[in-house]
Amino acid sequence: MKLETRKIPESEPEMVEIRYHWITDEILEIISFVKSRQGQLSAVRDGKRFEVPVVDLFYAESVDERLFLYTVSDSYEIRMKLYELEDLLKNKSFLRVSKSMIVNLMKITSVRPALNGRFSAVLKNGEEIIISRKYVPALKQILKGGES
Amino acid sequence: MARQKWKELLVRTLRLYTLLVTLITVLMIILGNLLDRDRVFSYDAFFSPLIYALIGTAATMVTRSDRELSVRSLLIRKIISLLIAEGAIVLIALNADTIPTEKSWVLPGLALGIFVVFVLTHIILYFIDRKEAEKLNADLSRYQEQQLNGSPIHE
Repeated sequence: MKLETRKIPESEPEMVEIRYHWITDEILEIISFVKSRQGQLSAVRDGKRFEVPVVDLFYAESVDERLFLYTVSDSYEIRMKLYELEDLLKNKSFLRVSKSMIVNLMKITSVRPALNGRFSAVLKNGEEIIISRKYVPALKQILKGGES
Repeated sequence: MARQKWKELLVRTLRLYTLLVTLITVLMIILGNLLDRDRVFSYDAFFSPLIYALIGTAATMVTRSDRELSVRSLLIRKIISLLIAEGAIVLIALNADTIPTEKSWVLPGLALGIFVVFVLTHIILYFIDRKEAEKLNADLSRYQEQQLNGSPIHE
């Protein structure tokens, strides 16, 4: 795929144009990436495509190499790896809390101790997720104002 | 990040070790007074809680894993670590001249004492974690407030 970038005057709006022959997985990934930069994620539920606002996301979980997004009551599948999503959302209050999960810190109601130095986070929709011990230092750091 | 992870592990291990030393010392005072009041020890006896606590701390290493353990496998590993600590300390007691294992109630008393220390350790560590969670919650609400007010902590 040929890549072309062009500097434009400030009076013109910035834009990304994708020219394609067929909508392939690669094209969808690029679209998904661009949308995520604009605060939306392209995801699929019941075979239909949805634009999920990042602010509505509660958490994302990787299950059997498939990545799912969870909002207050719905779940969507997204064509992306967890680490890619983590990278996209790292400056948007999202944090890795276990090997297979990243969570929106803005959707956590409270944190409480779980077994063996782990913590569990109660989310605003009542769900509870485990924060692995390994990721607790990163959580403390980000809440204190540092980068994870 | 990795440095902080190791620091956290070191703090938790030292915390556990110190807690075990304290609880084992208390256990020895109670069991000794109840079961073997007249025995006289040399200064070497001060090493006992340190050694037993080391065994107890080492036994908890079976609960450590790079994988994320389920609650079930964590509980199984906890039980294994208790059995290892019980086994190792009873074995030492059987070979130590200072512990009167020939008396029928000493070994069951010791085993029960180790179990009590195990339970107490977990209760105390839970309260320490709860305190930590309270701090995390305070930091979390401050973080959320700052993010909502449009003055993010980091960009």
